[in-house]
Amino acid sequence: MKISVNVNGRNVDADVEPRKLLVDFIRDDLHLTGTHVGCDTSSCGACTVLLDGVAVKSCTMFAVQANNRNITTIEGLSKGDELHRLQSAFIEEGGLQCGYCTPGMIMTSAWLLSNNAAPTEEEIRNGISGNLCRCTGYDSIIRSIQKASSDRRGGRK
Amino acid sequence: MSEGQLIYSAIGSSSQRVDIREKVDGSLKYFTDMKMDGMLYGVVFRSTVTHARIRSMDVTKAISMPGIRAVLTSRDIKGMNAYGVIVPDAPVLAYDKVRFYGEPLALIAGDTLEQAEAAKDGIKVDYEPLPVIRNIDEALKNDAPLIHNNGNIARSMKVERGDLARGFKDSYLVLDRDYRTHMQKHMFLETEAGLGYLDEKGVINIFVSGQGAHSYKGQITRALEIPPDKLRIVNYPEGGAFGGKDDVTIQILLTLLVMKTKKPVKLVLTREESGAGGYHRHASLIHLKTGVSKDGRFMANKAHILLDTGAYVSFGPSVLDTAMEVINGKYRIPNISVEGTLVYTNNGFSSAFRGFGAPQGNFAIENMVDELAYELKMDPIDFRLLNLLQEGEINSFGNPERDTMGAHVALTEAKGSRLWKISKKGSLPWIKVGLGVSFGVKGVGYGPVKDVSYAAVEVIPSGLVKAFFSNADYGQGINTGHLQIVAQKLGIPFENLRTVNADTAECPDTGSSDASRSTFTGGNALINACDQLIEVMKPEAARMMKVQPTEISYADGKFTFKEGSEVSIFDIASFMAKEGKGTKFIGSFEMPRVAKPIEGMIEAPRFSNAYGVLLSLVEVNELTGLVKAKAFDFYADIGKVINPLLALSQCESGLIQGLGYAITEELTYDVDGKPLNTNYTTYIVPSTTDIPSIDVRFVDAVEKYGPYGAKGVGEIPIVPVASSLTNAVHDAIGMRFRELPLSPPRVSSRMQQNKGISVLA
Repeated sequence: MKISVNVNGRNVDADVEPRKLLVDFIRDDLHLTGTHVGCDTSSCGACTVLLDGVAVKSCTMFAVQANNRNITTIEGLSKGDELHRLQSAFIEEGGLQCGYCTPGMIMTSAWLLSNNAAPTEEEIRNGISGNLCRCTGYDSIIRSIQKASSDRRGGRK
Repeated sequence: MSEGQLIYSAIGSSSQRVDIREKVDGSLKYFTDMKMDGMLYGVVFRSTVTHARIRSMDVTKAISMPGIRAVLTSRDIKGMNAYGVIVPDAPVLAYDKVRFYGEPLALIAGDTLEQAEAAKDGIKVDYEPLPVIRNIDEALKNDAPLIHNNGNIARSMKVERGDLARGFKDSYLVLDRDYRTHMQKHMFLETEAGLGYLDEKGVINIFVSGQGAHSYKGQITRALEIPPDKLRIVNYPEGGAFGGKDDVTIQILLTLLVMKTKKPVKLVLTREESGAGGYHRHASLIHLKTGVSKDGRFMANKAHILLDTGAYVSFGPSVLDTAMEVINGKYRIPNISVEGTLVYTNNGFSSAFRGFGAPQGNFAIENMVDELAYELKMDPIDFRLLNLLQEGEINSFGNPERDTMGAHVALTEAKGSRLWKISKKGSLPWIKVGLGVSFGVKGVGYGPVKDVSYAAVEVIPSGLVKAFFSNADYGQGINTGHLQIVAQKLGIPFENLRTVNADTAECPDTGSSDASRSTFTGGNALINACDQLIEVMKPEAARMMKVQPTEISYADGKFTFKEGSEVSIFDIASFMAKEGKGTKFIGSFEMPRVAKPIEGMIEAPRFSNAYGVLLSLVEVNELTGLVKAKAFDFYADIGKVINPLLALSQCESGLIQGLGYAITEELTYDVDGKPLNTNYTTYIVPSTTDIPSIDVRFVDAVEKYGPYGAKGVGEIPIVPVASSLTNAVHDAIGMRFRELPLSPPRVSSRMQQNKGISVLA
């Protein structure tokens, strides 16, 4: 099937099998390997991308379902060399260990902050509860998201 | 000494991970992300029965299926077709027998992943089923079927000291208890994965998950008969390991695929395959009988630790030794008997997992300690402090204790925890609140086994120093910690340093990233490499400056004669390069060992130990049996802290893996020995909403032999978690749980039994 998608601001026309998963389209066809796969059961969230600004687990969608829509992956979050404030905050707070879950974690957080510019800690915990991390114990991730949200509010810690 | 002037500026600073930018912008290529032109896809054909003799296997149909380039069985292996880090008892590809569900039998290489998967249907195996051994008790029955010809006991060890009978006779209180712990999966986010190819020089390059590149190289060359110079292993970067990628996983399978197809091959285990075919933590059964005097002093401790190693040994002997090592805590116990038995079952394959047997041993002894203190009406921390060995005292395994000062400090500081002041009134009538204590010990390094690590530094004339070491950075941050040590030693700014990690082509053998040893051994080897750099470059610098070597001194990347007369190591490197001299220096470090090893023990007792005291505040819901951790206060002695942020991250990490171990995580098998929960939907790891508030304090401690005083931090946080939680549950509801996990069904059923309500188990 022919699809037309906008990926990280770039229009892409592709011919994909109807059964192809969105994550495989992103990783194998578009070579955007920042979107990871930790399971095939939509449990871990490592494959999270934004679809028209909404966080989705790309292992649980077909590529054809993204037809005529906007996809943002981790590679599209930064503007050239300038990192998104969430990415900078994950660096400053050390919000990762192996980093495998990080792109998905950041994409979910981006959606969270787009809906709620100043989430409470509990709102952050609930907001990213669909993304698993086996390394950090999560606290450094929470601190990173808090940092990014306070940066948005004028650099307050 | 040739320290830089930046004393303790690099050590003790929270330097950012060297690879963090690539991790947040998505550009870092993990093994699952790698691809090459013309690469084939490998898949593993695995047993669908648990225990059986293989009558025959027919792969002819698979070979002729579309897109199939190779179907490999044991007949394609020239070498010994066996692996295992301690005892090579596991076949690379099974041929006469299968011993667990998911055991590899054949490999398929196809043009597409789909074709390779489809070809599995073209393989027919004729099995003669054998009875399945599902646990330790079944394995030890007199008429139990044998999993291996030499019986179902893989290892027996016994250590005795003092007069046990006398110790019990003189005791005021003796408790005799059984403890059981379960199997835990590592559940790293990136499954075992790799890509291999044959290069133009005939070298097989294997980029693959793992913790010890040189260790695999040895095992692969032995199993497949490949000359060592025809094999290169790279283990960085990867998505988590925790011990589950310590022994061989897919390294030999991938090498065999490349060897036979002579094409690039990618092999990635599915989550379910990783679950069935990958490693897990040993289940344990621990009989513990402990006697104390009326004033709360240990008199005797008798332990029998049985571990379920699954179908093969892997790290089982080391894990058993470590469980035996911690079963006396670090307490003064004059009379002991510690017996260990490693048992084969058909429960998959147990191996290394963060803590290496210490969480199991700790669960038993620290539950016992809590119960003894409670019965004696003593404060749980005072009871531990009273019995904690002082430096210089002879410990249970007959060696003078050398480093318990930090443990004394940690226990003493824990008495001041905020949690003692928190109200134990639940928010609802059926919510009960409790506070528990546990004291954990985890040795650093490999114990009495000779352990020499090598690492290198190279000065690049353009202005860089590269550090080479093979202990893999799988997320714990060893690349960063090691560079801080080099920065400190050479007085070179962090931004002028680079690492080359876990690549057998370039890195000397630093050993594996395990046993909490990387900082200690790799760090010291790098310091030694830097010393050699300074020693070799000094006369060169003197020649350049036309002075005597004794007249110059090293600091901050340069040799100085007098004010204004200096030459940098980069200029010296350039000078040396012109004369054809190398500027890469290999350093080494031999881990110190205890004076008196125990005959037969390979992993314990260890020379250096990390300590951790964990206070847990829990809420127990009496209606549902849900145990919720509300707060963790963790006091740790990890020696000098090289990087506070990374050390904190390791502690939060281990504590939460311990929380999962204690409450939600449990790998289970059905009656036929098939694993029931191998993915994140059925095997429940903690998520953000399960996390208590965590406070971590590092006590001020210095390990004399560690690099800048450091010990190791990787494992200690997970060790005391389960026992701390069961002790807290006792405080909340007055019931002792001697079996893990503290799952709602177990807790609620025990509470109902306690109330006289019969329940169906």
